[in-house]
Amino acid sequence: MLNVNNIYKNFGDLKVLKGVSTEIKAGEVVSIIGASGSGKSTLLRCMNLLETPTFGEVWMEGKLLTPVDPYLHPEVIACSNTYKKLVAEGMSSGDAIVKIKAEDLLNEKFSSAEGKEYRAAMKKIYDENYIDINVARQKMGMVFQQFNLFNNLSVKENIMFAPVSIGLAKIRKAKRKNLLIKLGNLFKKEKKELIEITETKESIKAEAEAKAMELLRRIGLEEKADVYPSTLSGGQKQRIAIIRALAMNPEVMLFDEPTSALDPEMIGEVLDLMKELANEGMTMVIVTHEMGFAREVSDRVLFVDEGYIKEDRPPEELFKSPEDPRLRDFLSKVL
Amino acid sequence: MSLVTIIENIAKIMGRYWYVFLVKGVGYTLLLSIIVLVCGAILGSIMAIGKGSKFAPLRWIITAVVEVVRGTPSLLQLYIGYFFVPKLLNIEGLSAQMQAFVCCAIALIINSAAYVSEIVRSGIEAVDKGQTEASRSLGLNSFTTMTKIILPQAIKNILPALGNEFIVVIKETSLASTFFVGDLMTAYLEVKGATYLSTECLIIVGAIYFVLTFTLSKIMGVAERKMKAHA
Ligand SMILES: Nc1ncnc2c1ncn2[C@@H]1O[C@H](COP(=O)(O)OP(=O)(O)OP(=O)(O)O)[C@@H](O)[C@H]1O
Ligand SMILES: [Mg+2]
Repeated sequence: MLNVNNIYKNFGDLKVLKGVSTEIKAGEVVSIIGASGSGKSTLLRCMNLLETPTFGEVWMEGKLLTPVDPYLHPEVIACSNTYKKLVAEGMSSGDAIVKIKAEDLLNEKFSSAEGKEYRAAMKKIYDENYIDINVARQKMGMVFQQFNLFNNLSVKENIMFAPVSIGLAKIRKAKRKNLLIKLGNLFKKEKKELIEITETKESIKAEAEAKAMELLRRIGLEEKADVYPSTLSGGQKQRIAIIRALAMNPEVMLFDEPTSALDPEMIGEVLDLMKELANEGMTMVIVTHEMGFAREVSDRVLFVDEGYIKEDRPPEELFKSPEDPRLRDFLSKVL
Repeated sequence: MSLVTIIENIAKIMGRYWYVFLVKGVGYTLLLSIIVLVCGAILGSIMAIGKGSKFAPLRWIITAVVEVVRGTPSLLQLYIGYFFVPKLLNIEGLSAQMQAFVCCAIALIINSAAYVSEIVRSGIEAVDKGQTEASRSLGLNSFTTMTKIILPQAIKNILPALGNEFIVVIKETSLASTFFVGDLMTAYLEVKGATYLSTECLIIVGAIYFVLTFTLSKIMGVAERKMKAHA
């Protein structure tokens, strides 16, 4: 479902992620743990490109979200001038690729310095697999530590905002296309058919509103539909933030420390809602400091440390017999 | 010169020249101010958005304009406008006063746009970044995010500062009298020339400016309080 492939992330000179790979399978619940500043949020945010990875690729359901990373495609490297030069100097093909990868020899990944053939190879991969990031994000819900409800919209409007805006944009796009088709038909014998637009502005709004109310009812907050976020408690805000993401029917949900900004008495209600989602089979990636929760709901736990995933195992194993000494140290501090 | 004579003279001047001060002077000052403020706000907002652009040269140009405008005297900018606008635009058909008016308006618009762009920019930056991230993470593009989420929140930070800018603009327009555009200060020069009563004319003009800006700042104070009550 979600593939993180050899991600590097630098903030200036600070190397936060140094080659991280993992695959999130459909229906899987994966927790990410690690010390403060270890890069957990950065890894999660790279998954939906709120941070752009410095190197590496992110794939979702066979579609490429990031630019092409040539180092992950030996056939692309083999098209580069650098490779051709090394081979001409007598190096074997395999050695040349290893050397180029290891020493980061491709100069300026998209420049003309590596030649036409190289750029064509890059473009081919991109064209075959690329997906618009906005479309991809509609399938990935994200929940933030600070809730980030829209302050200028009521609770109901918060939940309806994305479905309505995106629905309306689709109608506008279809109408524009139809206009072009109509114009084209004026000059052609064979008339092209118009795109059928079944939805109207009103139907989209009504549908989004029904869905919003249904979701609010689910968490028992329908009476808060018309209030503004500033009047809500932290626990209420976070639960609404979760259903706001659900309103887009996402295929995977990303959580970045969803309970860290909450008063202790409100943590339970948010974790309960997340457990419900997990039980319903939602694919979830959760950055958390709640070890008990991670242990209970996760299929896998990733321990992120010093820019790497140091351990990646089911929770019973990982918590019972941590292998990495830094994980042992970390667990002894937080448990 | 006693206080009594000054008051008597002011009464006399106002009796005879009220039209020049209150209608022509105030009229031109307000007209120029409103044109400058509206155009400056539009141009300034465009500049503010341009400054967030991915296209670096655009950012550099805007930054350069803002810095030059802030680092040079407004009067100098008016002189530059007065000499260069006629070379760039064909405004020869207009009367001399209208030509001066157009030149000054354009110079003041650029001046005001530079300040407005900073106001808008900081208003946008004051909105929590989490708002943008939440919207983008739902799959909305940057344009929808900006217009539906960020600007409605930024406007609360922007409007009060924009109100202050209006007052500044009203005062700055007085510099345009250097080129006799017909504003309040031009009215002062005219009437002083006719009556040789410069103290009295200065008091009159000063009082009018004060009433204009004071009323405005009071109105804005009320508007601001209303807006806060709604937020
Ligand atoms: N936008 C940024 N610019 C510069 N440095 C950043 C940025 N975002 C994160 N960092 C740095 O990268 C490192 C990893 O940050 P990250 O937020 O991923 O850590 P974390 O594991 O989520 O920590 P925490 O548990 O405190 O949330 C930190 O040292 C942080 O200061
Ligand atoms: Mg974090």
